[in-house]
This record gives sequence, C-alpha cells and structure tokens, in this order.
Amino acid sequence: MKMNTVIMGGGLSGLVCGIALAKRGQRVTIVATGQSTLLFNGGSMELLGYLDGKAVVSPIEAIASLSEEHPYRKIGADRIALLADQAKTLLDDAGIQMEGTAAANHWRVTPMGVAKPAWLTLKSHVHIDDLKQLPCKRLALMCIKGFFDEPNGMLADGLKDMGFEVDRLEFTTDDITALRRSPSEMRASSLAKRLGSNSALQRIADQINQLAGEAEMVLLPSVLGDEDHIHALQSMVNKPLRLVATLPPSVSGNRMQTLLRHYFQMLGGNYLMGDTVVSATLDGDRVTSVTTAKLGDMPLKADQFILATGSFISRGLVADYERVYEPILGLDVDADADREKWTRFGILEPQAYSRFGVKTDNDLRCLKEGKTIQNLRAIGSVLSGHDAIKMGDGTGVSLLSALAAAQSILAAQS
Amino acid sequence: MAERMQICNLSENNFEQCTKCSICTTVCPVAAVTTDYPGPKQAGPDGERYRLKDPAYYDKMLKLCLNCKRCEVACPSGVHIADIIQHARMRAGEGKRASLRDTMLANTDLLGTVANLVAPVANVTLGLKPTKMVMHSVMAIDKHRTFPAYSRMKFETWFKRHAAEHQAAYANQVSYFHGCYVNYNFPKLGQDLVKLLNAVGYGVNLLDKEQCCGVALIANGLYKQAKRQARVNAASLRQAVNMDHRTVLTTSSSCTFNLRDEYPSMLGVDTSDVRDSIMLATRFIYRLVDDEKIKLVFKQDYKRRIAYHTACHMQRMGWQLFSIEMMRMIPGLDLQVLDQECCGISGTYGFKRENYERSQAIGATLFKNIADAKVEAVATDCETCKWQIEMSTGLPVENPISVLADALDVDATRRANGL
Repeated sequence: MKMNTVIMGGGLSGLVCGIALAKRGQRVTIVATGQSTLLFNGGSMELLGYLDGKAVVSPIEAIASLSEEHPYRKIGADRIALLADQAKTLLDDAGIQMEGTAAANHWRVTPMGVAKPAWLTLKSHVHIDDLKQLPCKRLALMCIKGFFDEPNGMLADGLKDMGFEVDRLEFTTDDITALRRSPSEMRASSLAKRLGSNSALQRIADQINQLAGEAEMVLLPSVLGDEDHIHALQSMVNKPLRLVATLPPSVSGNRMQTLLRHYFQMLGGNYLMGDTVVSATLDGDRVTSVTTAKLGDMPLKADQFILATGSFISRGLVADYERVYEPILGLDVDADADREKWTRFGILEPQAYSRFGVKTDNDLRCLKEGKTIQNLRAIGSVLSGHDAIKMGDGTGVSLLSALAAAQSILAAQS
Repeated sequence: MAERMQICNLSENNFEQCTKCSICTTVCPVAAVTTDYPGPKQAGPDGERYRLKDPAYYDKMLKLCLNCKRCEVACPSGVHIADIIQHARMRAGEGKRASLRDTMLANTDLLGTVANLVAPVANVTLGLKPTKMVMHSVMAIDKHRTFPAYSRMKFETWFKRHAAEHQAAYANQVSYFHGCYVNYNFPKLGQDLVKLLNAVGYGVNLLDKEQCCGVALIANGLYKQAKRQARVNAASLRQAVNMDHRTVLTTSSSCTFNLRDEYPSMLGVDTSDVRDSIMLATRFIYRLVDDEKIKLVFKQDYKRRIAYHTACHMQRMGWQLFSIEMMRMIPGLDLQVLDQECCGISGTYGFKRENYERSQAIGATLFKNIADAKVEAVATDCETCKWQIEMSTGLPVENPISVLADALDVDATRRANGL
C-alpha cells in the first residue's frame, strides 16, 4: 500500500502534521499505538514557559536564548513565529478555539492551583493575562460533590495565593448523584458523557445561580466536552463562567484529540488506532516502508515518513538497564551513556532524561549511525533538546515541529 | 539477568502493564451509558488483582461488557483489557448452564437450519406482534428487534447447485468461510463475492466442514460448545491452507477476528499456523490490485454517496484500511469515513430485553453522525452492525464486497483479466 506520507504516532504532533499534509492533497496514513498524551492536556498549549527556572514573558523573543540543540533553534525563531500563527489557524479550522499569542505568554491555571505561563488556552477555560491585574476580585469555585479529578482545596488555596477571594461552593444535581453509584467512575470523562443534555445543564446552572452569591466570576471543573454544551451553560448562568482544568484524562484534551482526528479523516487521511509500527525497511539513506503489527505482511510504503511516537511514556523512547533507544529504527539518540546521569534525586528537580530524544539535523531529519535518513523526520516529544516539564515547551514543540516538517515535505514535493 | 526479571514479571494478560491512566474508561461505550458497569479499568486490570487473591471478588456486572475491545484499542500500554474481562467471565461461568434464551441466540447454526426449512413461515411468524410479545416476555428477547430475515435457500445449497461446478475452471483458487449470516440470512453477500472473484480469475471453494465460528457462543457463556466447533473449524482451515494451499477468505469482521485471534486467546484452540492465511476478502482483493495481479473495471454511470462505519472488532483487527482503500478505488463513489463509534448491538447483546435501551443509547452518537453524513447507504464489514444501523437509521447497510460487486462492470473486468 503506497501513501505520500506515513506518520508513526497519532497524538498532537502526528495529527497536526497529517492535517497539514492532507489539506494539500497528500495521501496520509497515521499509525497510532493507542490514545495519546493529548488526553492528559488541560486545555492549553505552551510555546516556551520557563528559561533557567524563570517565567518567560515573550516566547518568541526568548528563543534566541535557547541552546542550539533546541528544536526551535533548529527550525529558526523567525519561522517559529510564522508557524505559531499557522498552528492557531489550523486548530481553529479543526474546531478548537483558543486564545493567546506567541508574542506574549498569559497564565493558565492548573488543577493544583498553580499559575503557569501558556501560549494558547481554550476560550472556554480560565486564563489570566496579567497576574498583577486580575480580571476580577471574587471567584465562586464550584466543587462537584464526590468528584475525583479536582483537589479543590489546593486549587482554592492556589487561587487565593494569586490574589483572588475564593468561595468554595459544593454542589450536586440528580444527574451527578446518579453517577456516584459507580464508586470508581466519578471522573471528569464520565461526567462529560452525562451532562450534555439541556435539562442536565439547566440543573447545574440552577445550582450555580443559587449559590454563587457575590462572586464576579464562576469557575467550574472542565467536565463538559462539547463547545455547544459549554456555551449553553454559559448562557444559563447569570455570571461569567469559565472552566478550570482537571486531573487527567481530561475532557478538553479528549475533545481536542477527537476534533483533530475527525478533521484529519474528513480530509481523507487514514487513522489506524490501536496498531503499532514494528519495523522499517531502509534502502540506503531512505526509508521505503514500515511494517505494522496488524497489517502484517502488507507493509505501508511511502515517499516520506514521520516519527511522532512521543517520549518514554508513549514508548517512542525506551530505557532499559543499560541504554536509551528508539525502538522502531534504532535511530541515533541524544542520551547520556552513563546511567547514573539520567536522573537526579528529587522528583521535582530538572531531570536529564526529559531532554533525551532522537538526534536530527536542522531539517528535523533523523540520523542512524551518524548518517542522515533523507525522508524520515522526527517531530514532537521524541525530539531531543527540550524539556516539556521544566521549560514548558512540550505542546509547542509538538505543534511547531509538526508544521515545520510538513512544510519541508511539501516544499520537496513541489 | 535484568531482561529475565522483566519476563518473569509478565502475566498472561499483562495487567501489570496498566499505568492507571484511565484512558480506557473514556472510550468504553457501556460505562458511558450506565453506572452499573464499573468500567474497563476497574473491571479489567484493577479487578484482576482482587480476583487473583480471591475469585469471590468477581463482580457479576462484568456481564454488561460488550467485548467490543475499544478499551484495548485505546490502551497506550498494550494491556489486553477486554481479554482479562472475558477470562474472568469465563472462570465465573464455569459449570453454570446458559439460559434457554441465550442458548437459542447463540446457536445461530441450529436456528438457521430450522428457519431456512420454513423460511417464509419463520420470517412472517418472527415478525408478528404476538410472536414478538411472547419472545419479549417469555424469552426476554426485546420486542423492538426484528430477527434478520431467513433466506429460503442456504448459501451452501445455492453454491452447490449454481456455482460449484464452474469453479475448477479458474487458474487460481481460494476457500471461503461464509459464516452463518451469509449461509442462512443473506446469501447475496456470498454470491457477490463469488461473482467478484470469478471475474478476476479466482475460483471459490467451500471448506470441508464449516460450523458457526462461535462468536455468539463465547458471548453467551457456551464455552464447551464453542471449543468443539472451533476444533472442527480449525481442522477445516488446516485442510484448506496446509493441504490445498488456499487462502481462506471471509466477509464478516467478527468471524475473522474470532478464527484468527479469539480461538487461541479465549478458547485455547491454536490457529497460529494458519492465521496469516485467513483474511477478509477486502484485504485479499485490495492486495491483488495493489500488486497489479488483477484489474477492476467499474461501471461508467456508477454514482453513490456512502458512509463507512468501522465495526469495533474491525478496528481491533486493524484492517479498516483495506475496506476503505478498496472502496476508494471506485471512481463514482463518494466515501465518507465515519468517526469510529460503537453501534451498540454487539452480536446478540442488543437482542436481549435487559440490554435494549442501553444498546440504543450506546449507538445514538453513531446514528446521529450517519444522519449528518447525508448518505444513501452505509457500508460496514459486520453483519450485526448492519442490523442495528438498518433498524436505527432506516438506511440500507452493505458489506464493502457488495458495494464493490455492485459498482463492477463484470464483463469488462473479465476481459481486462484475460478471461
């Protein structure tokens, strides 16, 4: 089976790259081992959050200070600025409406009540442009009774630390109470499936309107997936209402994944969920085909290949007792040979392993035994030289490297 | 030493690979519509820890699992969640007898044989309101369901009378596992396949002895009978593949999945030596075209807009690509690929009175997406999805093989293949 491009990995970077290519008429197939870490995303994209432990004000300006190994430096700061605009438009086309600009970070609110720098945040979710000028003074934090996915005490404390006055208001409705019958499923995703009807939303709105008192703005855990449901609730509540991220798997992340996949398939792309690329065939400095676990003896051939398999958690990188390796092609990896140096004591300390990834040239092409593979590009978390946790650049690297790789492929085609 | 430690740590169902990410719960169609079901993570890897300690921790609500396998497909860590649940159900069901209703629903073979003999009577009777009410109240088969119509002539009989003698004339030969649905309810699909394969120079053979693949038997707890039938089928498959050197084609995704994967994993009947030679006809035909071994010529005036529904077991098998790409070869076909959703029928599950409402609630998203797609028909590789979608949307549902056969210019195709 011959495609223009085969993408290994169906998370944020794989899907965005696939969309950019399919939109220009390419025949694209994505192979996704399972659901991706996008389902852990709380509704924001980060381009560059921190440099040397300090919050970044303007991500685009800060790129110049990054090390040359960082994917943004490889792509180039000027190009990143253009791609950032493209990314926002692409998300919008897929039905994911976000606010923010790459020129200046805003603040998102984590489920633990921490303000973190962000580039884009879903319009429906709470975000703060300037911590010194809060959008309001008093917040009503609506806490769903028995809900697992929000440590609302910590969240309230965090919001108070930011300078808000917070009313913690517990509530429930018949629909929510019914769900408590299942002791293990009082989760955001389960709630999202039950609170979609207008009557269920009205019951929530009634509770909020009754309890919210003097507060100027209402915060509700992100338990509504569909934009239509969110808008419906916002119109029923008589104060401004914003959603606040929950612990994963997150409803907003799930929704983004679903919308991107839908858009990709609408454009004619094939999305193979639950299959895995197990090996690749090389002819000189080119990949000719990849074999998947389920397609068996019918390999996927293509002109171009993309490695978007993610980091350790998604098994795009594997660590055993001796080494760190890339499991499909055995590509060259940037990782310390000395196992002692992979980690350091203290889980919240910067960890060397979070910067591990596959080596690439400036066009994101992968290397094997020091030689460039001409038609294989790596994108997203599998890339080396960045640190999603300590630098707040994970989703940005995924989106922008995906678009950069798509651009290179399309340029080579024409 | 390090490597061996890892191997020793793996259980048969690899439940210890579960990282508790809970992603499986977001895709479970049952947990989405009822609070009675604990969800795949709790029912599968989490519950298994308790059950290993003491089988009494078995939760009877596990019977609500559809075995759709969507949890396994979504799992980023490769845990065989649905298998864990099925095995737990099997262990709990040992020594217990299935109800008359479940035995009847599961024995598609027996029911089909009797019904074919009296097809006109059976079809009318099964469709009558009083019959439906009796089945609803006495048998607990939901009154909203209509049994798929039984054909007057079995596919096997048709094949022997009208097709068998011409097959030897073709240079290439394949075998066909038609399954109960084609045999008793819808011989047209089998006839479409014979027409298609003959047109490109392939002769079709039935297996020495084909019995129901047993997917419904497994679902209804009739494991012993399922095992017996699996052994008969495994012998026939071996005869066809190893002795006659023929690929065995199928037209039902669930039968295929059962023969290839559930026989060894659920029933302990090893089919690994013939597994690679059992495949859906869509994969076989796509490959022949892709390898330029055959040519397909389509009717010039053909024009249709069809939506493709990926059946859950089809997605688990990972072969929707072949059905989709095969249909995309048809120039006049506007194919809309639907987001993968469960239709809710899951074989015999939706026929049971106690499951009817859940079944329809599960399928609601799919039915809405189909309505939004503005198509004249739906294509899918699963016969029970077909019944469910036809009943719930009013649109005709066809197997991709029938879609292809309908679009094919048979005479031109025969000529193009030198026949």
